[in-house]
Amino acid sequence: MNRQNRIWRTALLAAPLAVFGLFVVWPLMSSFYYSFTNWNGFNPNYDFVGFANFGKIVTDRLFLNATINTAIWMVAAIVLPTALGLGLALLLDRKLPGARFFKSVFYLPICLSAVIVGQIWIWIYQPDWGLLNTVLRHVTGAEHNWAWLARPNTALWSVIVAWSWQQTGLSMVIYLAGLTGIPGDLLEVCEIEGASPWQRLRRVVLPLLTPSTVVVVALSVINSLKGFDILYIMTGGGPFNSSDTLAMHMYNESFAKFRMGYGSAISVVLFLIAMVVIGLYFRQLRKVDRIYG
Amino acid sequence: MAELTLDRLRKSFGSQEVIKGLDLTIADGEFVVFVGPSGCGKSTTLRMIAGLEDVTSGAVRLAGQDVTRTRPAGRGIAMVFQSYALFPHLSVADNIGFGLSLQRLPRAEIAARVRAVAETLQLGPLLERFPRELSGGQRQRVAIGRSIIRDPRVFLFDEPLSNLDAALRVQMRLEIARLHRRLRATMIYVTHDQVEAMTLADRIVVFNEGRIEQVGSPMALYERPANRFVAGFIGAPAMNFLAPGCALLAGLAVPAGAREAGIRPEHLALVAPGDGAGGSVELIERLGPETFAHLRLPDLPDTVTLRLPGDSGVEPGTAVALRALPDRVQWFDAAGRALAATRG
Ligand SMILES: Nc1ncnc2c1ncn2[C@@H]1O[C@H](COP(=O)(O)OP(=O)(O)OP(=O)(O)O)[C@@H](O)[C@H]1O
Ligand SMILES: [Mg+2]
Repeated sequence: MNRQNRIWRTALLAAPLAVFGLFVVWPLMSSFYYSFTNWNGFNPNYDFVGFANFGKIVTDRLFLNATINTAIWMVAAIVLPTALGLGLALLLDRKLPGARFFKSVFYLPICLSAVIVGQIWIWIYQPDWGLLNTVLRHVTGAEHNWAWLARPNTALWSVIVAWSWQQTGLSMVIYLAGLTGIPGDLLEVCEIEGASPWQRLRRVVLPLLTPSTVVVVALSVINSLKGFDILYIMTGGGPFNSSDTLAMHMYNESFAKFRMGYGSAISVVLFLIAMVVIGLYFRQLRKVDRIYG
Repeated sequence: MAELTLDRLRKSFGSQEVIKGLDLTIADGEFVVFVGPSGCGKSTTLRMIAGLEDVTSGAVRLAGQDVTRTRPAGRGIAMVFQSYALFPHLSVADNIGFGLSLQRLPRAEIAARVRAVAETLQLGPLLERFPRELSGGQRQRVAIGRSIIRDPRVFLFDEPLSNLDAALRVQMRLEIARLHRRLRATMIYVTHDQVEAMTLADRIVVFNEGRIEQVGSPMALYERPANRFVAGFIGAPAMNFLAPGCALLAGLAVPAGAREAGIRPEHLALVAPGDGAGGSVELIERLGPETFAHLRLPDLPDTVTLRLPGDSGVEPGTAVALRALPDRVQWFDAAGRALAATRG
């Protein structure tokens, strides 16, 4: 390696590292720092309060509520798109007429931004003339004007449905690729050995799709952790905090109630939770590695 | 009893007919080898017997029963693939016991039968491993283990050894021969390897372009091929084909209608100059126990292959004279059919 090469290598590495440092490492460090203060977000004067913010978290009813919602959100945002995507992939993988067309249709929502998806579903959920209530009215013949997004017991799940609608196409495409990669002779062994369709799915197809599932779940986890924008558009965490997640709660505390110190403490906890989830995930990955290399 | 009969079996993919009417009866316990050039329909035939491929017309009968429309699992056949087709996510034990576990047999019974099969295939110490932790030969033994554990009536092998190196191939060939002797099951075996075909087969079936050219014992095909195609296909190196008027055949009585003569490399001999057709050595292949010399003769378009002892000192460029053993020359008519009385 000559001198000039080394300079180039350093320079080319430095640029992305600087961006990463500026937009990831620095804010992260700042969050840790401010989580020990009572900063309000703009006043240059603030005090160190030790672990007071973290103490407050323990007694914050809204934090508990947001944690539960985050758990629901994450589990649903992983399970629903994964299961639906797998189901669609299994259906479309059989060379049905029109399969190509439906592949494109189901994939389309992933190309839309969360803002547009959110707006589409706000219209669908609109109480008076929204698609959902209109269909319900015609099917049941009864009057339906349920305000899906404005009722505490349906708000979170209504957003989860919209979210799954968008994410399913991605899982489907990954699973379709995975299905293509299953060697035909393994399926023929199933036929010769007398596996029922269910046994073939359970004992051969699903295990062989493990590498695809790894990718799908990883993307779902990452996307669901990032899935703040669609909630923000559709409910903003309301009504009455019923669709509040930790990210939403942190945002409200920091930027709506100007409790930057407390908001930072929430973000630190959120960060730790994310680390645990990802850590657990990587441990599972190592098992997959032994078999699929 | 698991006698297998193919009755006017045909198969088309779209408008292309690839199997053009096969009639074949395979006796219970017989070891039959399918050979033929690439694309002639050996695998397709095997897959129709297994039920993996629909039959376009004709019938497959197993032990007197028409199984043409029976699902693969209902036929009592086992198949061993060239690719081994092992489940990568299952251990060796689970791969071998796969079929039994589908039938929900008691765990203990499956384990016992898996262990018994593994012992006979020397897989005992490997039961807990995954396929990717095995060598090619071990993988193929696992695939064979999976096929024998259900006591199938017919075994189908589609080029099972062609992914193995030469030494392993010889070893596995012996194991398959031993397996057949022990199980006495009907076996159909597809191979491109002449030695496998000759050594394993009770009977060889020679395919060509979706048809059977000839069926017979290895030595019958070798010594009395029915036509030019079989004569050229069986035997390595291949038979030499000569025009009837060439110097090498001088003095031989040409049967009526003969258009071509065939002589195997081992039925040619070097003689003193002047006693036979003259030529020069173009290329020498030394295999150890034997040597093949490729000779250029002035009146023949192709080189002639001649087998010599391993210690033959012939070098490329040497001028030689050779003769054909007269009673070993085979004659073919214009349609390529072997003419009778080629050999008394
Ligand atoms: N699924 C298919 N669709 C269309 N054509 C096919 C299909 N499977 C096989 N064929 C054709 O049928 C013919 C016979 O193929 P087959 O695989 O039986 O040959 P083979 O004798 O086993 O050859 P090889 O020795 O190379 O394995 C070939 O011409 C092949 O192209
Ligand atoms: Mg083949």
